[in-house]
Amino acid sequence: MKTTLKNPYVYLGFVLPTIALYFLFFIYPMLTSAVYGFTDWNGLDRRNFIGFDNFANAFGDADFQHSMYNNLYFIVFSVFVQIPLIVVFSLLISGVKRLQGFYKTTVFLPSILSTSVIGILWGYIYNPDVGLIASILKIFGAEPIYWLGESKWAMFAILITNAWQWMGFYIVLILAAILAIPKEIDEAARIDGASGAQRAWYLTVPLIRPVINVVVMLSIAGALRVVDIVLVMTDGGPAGATDVMASYMVSKAIKFGDYGYGTALSIIIFAFALLLTALYQFAFARRQERVEY
Amino acid sequence: MPAALRKSVPHVVMMVYVVVILVPFLFVLFSSFKANNTEIALHPFGLPKSWKFSNYQEAWVKAKISVYFWNSLYLAAAAAAVGVLLSAATAFALTRMKFPKTSAAIYQFVLIGMLIPGNVLFIAQYLLVRNLHILNTHWSLFLPYAAGALPFSVLLICAFMRAIPTELEEAAVMDGMSAPGLFARIILPLTVPALVTVFIVNFLGNWNEYLLAQFFISKDALRTLPTGMVQFRDAFQTNYALVCTGIVFSVAPVAVLYGFLQRTIIEGLTAGSLKG
Repeated sequence: MKTTLKNPYVYLGFVLPTIALYFLFFIYPMLTSAVYGFTDWNGLDRRNFIGFDNFANAFGDADFQHSMYNNLYFIVFSVFVQIPLIVVFSLLISGVKRLQGFYKTTVFLPSILSTSVIGILWGYIYNPDVGLIASILKIFGAEPIYWLGESKWAMFAILITNAWQWMGFYIVLILAAILAIPKEIDEAARIDGASGAQRAWYLTVPLIRPVINVVVMLSIAGALRVVDIVLVMTDGGPAGATDVMASYMVSKAIKFGDYGYGTALSIIIFAFALLLTALYQFAFARRQERVEY
Repeated sequence: MPAALRKSVPHVVMMVYVVVILVPFLFVLFSSFKANNTEIALHPFGLPKSWKFSNYQEAWVKAKISVYFWNSLYLAAAAAAVGVLLSAATAFALTRMKFPKTSAAIYQFVLIGMLIPGNVLFIAQYLLVRNLHILNTHWSLFLPYAAGALPFSVLLICAFMRAIPTELEEAAVMDGMSAPGLFARIILPLTVPALVTVFIVNFLGNWNEYLLAQFFISKDALRTLPTGMVQFRDAFQTNYALVCTGIVFSVAPVAVLYGFLQRTIIEGLTAGSLKG
């Protein structure tokens, strides 16, 4: 017993491949990022260390500022529009007996699909000539709208698609939390004469606050790193109107070869993610760490 | 409000939601069978007048959806399988072998990976695969996909293996079984449920991955379905039926998989997000 499970060579054999692969694609890129971010490297010339210049430039870069605002739209939309809806839908599903499984399975479906395919699918739905929305508008005699081609609509169109893709995922998370609440609590309130809405608002919602906090944090993290859907639906266009931080970072690096600057942008994205989740934890999540039933 | 009416309100609201989810799929499915753009434009909502199955053949062969499809399938499956096997071996060593201090350190080290949002490392990984001279080969996707699966997989499989009682392996070791034999013949078979969950989560992640596939691969014959689809859309922009056919080709396999394994998929994906 002792020798078999204490053979260091066998142990290494089991562990080393994982460590090697993990080091190569996680730790090593982290370390090189920390270096590249402080250089002016463009892939060709010698790279020079330029201190914090990249970071200073980033905050003076009007295009990057604009892309930060677009990430902010994602955050605001998911926290103030999606999450209230998500909670309402979860409460509704938890309250029914028939078809509960069907609702859960259906709303979850879009979140297992490729963002790229969903972007293409919705690009077709938004198509001004033959798309679903244009066809519906036509019935009412309205002019077609170039949803993805006009700056004032494009961001909104992407936000709707993003919500369509991800809401079901969070509904399932919150639904699981609601269903885990012991039935007796709800029974007792019902016997005391509380209405369904009262029980939902005064009992269920406070009891699932920790999960709502998790969902808020996941949404913020998701909103900060969103990129696929923008690249597929508009590629940042029209004229940069829908660029987000990550898509701007990718285009700086790949299209213009500004690896140093691009890496600095990715460090900024990472810093924002850490900062916002830490702030949120500090402000809201700390007060109730555990719910006792 | 009468009781019957009050009971039906949630169903009415949820049915509206379900319609909003399903109608885009149906719209695309019906469009994919229509003859041409004129038919789509004139009869956007109805069923196609005659079901044009040849669209599917055309997209599959001429538009190379078949190439993208097989590339995606084998890359996603191979990377997920390798990721799961490596993680299982590591989890075995960390939870079953007697090196508690080293194991705790390695476990923490691997979990750092879960704190890093995916695309933060994008440029560094791009430069890495370029320096390894594997840009524009499937290795440039296979390796990051397999590596990307590791933190979450190690976490989940470790949790599962810790719950397996030690009596079995004690008996096996008494009978003279080696550590690799113990892993392959006793622990691995008992861990199959966790391995399946982890495999499916990783497979779906790889199957859907866009960013790396878009920028690490530029040869058309090597593209995967998500990036090939975008290429396909841009090339056939004016043939809506064909684009819809492409969408059906990429949604259908996942939808079928989901139909059979919905519980595993939902549990796996939500567990991944909560622990991450």
